[in-house]
Amino acid sequence: MNALVQVTGLRKSFGDNEVLKGVDFEVERGEVVAIIGPSGSGKTTMLRCINLLEQPSGGRIVVDGRVVCEEAEDGSMRFAERGDVREIREQVGMVFQRFNLFPHMTALDNITEAPKSVRGMSKEDANARALELLDSVGLSHKADAYPLQLSGGQQQRVAIARALAMEPALMLFDEVTSAVDPELAGEILLVMKRLAEQGMTMLVVTHEMSFAADVADRVLFIDHGVIVEQGQARDVLTAPQSPRTRAFLHAVLDRAPMAEDDGSTGVGEEAGFGGSDLFTEQVAADPEAGPDDG
Amino acid sequence: MEWDWGIVGRTFDLLLMGTRLTLVLFFFSLLLGTVLGLVLALMRMSRYRVARWFSLFYIWVFRGIPVLVILFFAFFVVGRQMGLTPVQAGILGLGFSAAAYIAEIIRAGIMSVDQGQSEASEALAMTKRHYMRRVILPQSIRVIIPTYMSNSILVLKVTSVAVAIGIVELTGITRQLSNSTTRPIELFTAAAVLYVFLTTVLVVVQEVLERRFALKT
Amino acid sequence: MDWEVVWESVPLIWKGAGATVSMFAWALVIGTVGALALALMRLAAAKPLQWFAIGFGWLFRGIPLLILLFFAFFALPELGILLSPFLAAVVGFSLWTAAYQAEVIRSGIIAVPPGQSEASEALGMTKAHYMRRIILPQGLRIMVPPFTGNAITLLKQTSLATLVTVPEMALLTQRIFSNNFKFVEPIFVLGMIYLAMTSVLLILSVAVERAVSLKV
Repeated sequence: MNALVQVTGLRKSFGDNEVLKGVDFEVERGEVVAIIGPSGSGKTTMLRCINLLEQPSGGRIVVDGRVVCEEAEDGSMRFAERGDVREIREQVGMVFQRFNLFPHMTALDNITEAPKSVRGMSKEDANARALELLDSVGLSHKADAYPLQLSGGQQQRVAIARALAMEPALMLFDEVTSAVDPELAGEILLVMKRLAEQGMTMLVVTHEMSFAADVADRVLFIDHGVIVEQGQARDVLTAPQSPRTRAFLHAVLDRAPMAEDDGSTGVGEEAGFGGSDLFTEQVAADPEAGPDDG
Repeated sequence: MEWDWGIVGRTFDLLLMGTRLTLVLFFFSLLLGTVLGLVLALMRMSRYRVARWFSLFYIWVFRGIPVLVILFFAFFVVGRQMGLTPVQAGILGLGFSAAAYIAEIIRAGIMSVDQGQSEASEALAMTKRHYMRRVILPQSIRVIIPTYMSNSILVLKVTSVAVAIGIVELTGITRQLSNSTTRPIELFTAAAVLYVFLTTVLVVVQEVLERRFALKT
Repeated sequence: MDWEVVWESVPLIWKGAGATVSMFAWALVIGTVGALALALMRLAAAKPLQWFAIGFGWLFRGIPLLILLFFAFFALPELGILLSPFLAAVVGFSLWTAAYQAEVIRSGIIAVPPGQSEASEALGMTKAHYMRRIILPQGLRIMVPPFTGNAITLLKQTSLATLVTVPEMALLTQRIFSNNFKFVEPIFVLGMIYLAMTSVLLILSVAVERAVSLKV
């Protein structure tokens, strides 16, 4: 069975700056892949190439059997036509770091806008579906609220519901907790975890290592525009092969320089970094229980 | 130096006639300028090079030439060709001139809408036409209002230039009256007061509009 | 369009360019000086000074420039002040410029983030010192675009001096077409000359903006 996403030889330059230097990976249906790496490594750019928010300078991307872009024989890039791009984007949902909710529309209207205009859904059907989705992210009581009346965590959950309303086959998450106060990140990650459990194919660019450890099937580590290491989540995070991966994980997890040379980073239960532990804490800050108005 | 402020009272009906004409020039030229300006702004951002260049050219020309000259052209050239009355020619000239400025104001407003809004819309597979209409333009209005309104105040004041093609609006009638009554100080002061009054009304309208279109927080 | 008439009109209209540019230059200089004074008054401690500056701006930006010109031309003589058309025009243009540029200067100073003043004070600098070395240079950068924009508008507005009989380009153009009833050609020439002048000013403003911009 074909992978849902196939990326080969992906390159991207902004002017003289080559951000992606040849990236290859695949994502199977139902897989959750976490993408980690330092700032400027190209991970966000890579994600944005998949739904053509960025136009790659080289390489080939296929999503759900459709060609997003490929290199012609003469080396020039060919991209999907406008109509095809939209069809691809119907299958690919994206959640942004800055939420990008439509501030002049209520939460409900944010969610129904695309299904109505793109899928031609009736207002009643769209509203009903939107309310279901809002309920699933714990915000059915905020259907008529405007984005600026909501907290960051609530806005991001609405953004997730908005993307899900199009019933995509693949969900892209671009550092969706980075712009949110730390205590509100948990409610977002919980929604994502549930989504993963329901079998959604997810590509998640994130700094939340506990999430990656707990929810992701595979982890990709990108640095300076290349995939340095990829593999099963537990392997990459607890026993990384490459020294660069190790260095990154040390820096991110703020651990003291390693004395042992066994390559372990201390990520794992022994280090008290039980993914489940951290998650239990965040689950306790359950959106339904917590005070949402304020 | 003796004053005769009573002259204002005695000529007030004439001053009001002039004011009426000022307002006619103002409304219709603003209307024409706004419609044309919107078209120009969209052309400026169009996919097609020809549209972009034409729009750029128009804006360059109509912002580079004084309103007086544009009015001369509207009256002495276009007006005579098409048999327009001075007021019609005046509205044409003022409107086409205003359009160049309004186009830039609208374009700046549209561009100021956060890029993330179009990215999110594109990611949701919306067509550009759709999200321009439903997401971008509504948000741009909020930004456009202040500059648009202050530009409208300018449009109001610029109607005074119509004197040059013989239109007897407020400035024109004041000049005539001041010459015939030799009471320029009193009359021009009265005209100034009337203009300030009209300008203030526009400022109030601006505040009302800004409040109406503010985002709900 | 009769190109012979066009070429004939050019030197005739160009004779007025001296008056146009001269009014522009005088009004810009005098007006800017006035604007600086007004801006300082706005920021002064003494309330009456502030109110004068606010009132001045409100009045001279609230009425059409033409009313100002007519007042200088028709009304001042009644008060015993007899000015030549040229001077009356310069007076009107200068007052108008001062009012608008004062607003530009004030906005520029205000736009500098307050954190700059706070940091300067925290470092122990006197207000005079950091106004001069920190605030003004940054404010200048912000002021340049609207300042040059107003200047270009001023150049175009000098055409209004025709209505107070100053022999600048627009008046000379009117003389031509009221004599030979050929309208298109002289008006076209007039427009092109103005377009050339404003375009030159535009290029200059871009150069100035670039010269004062932050090195990034």
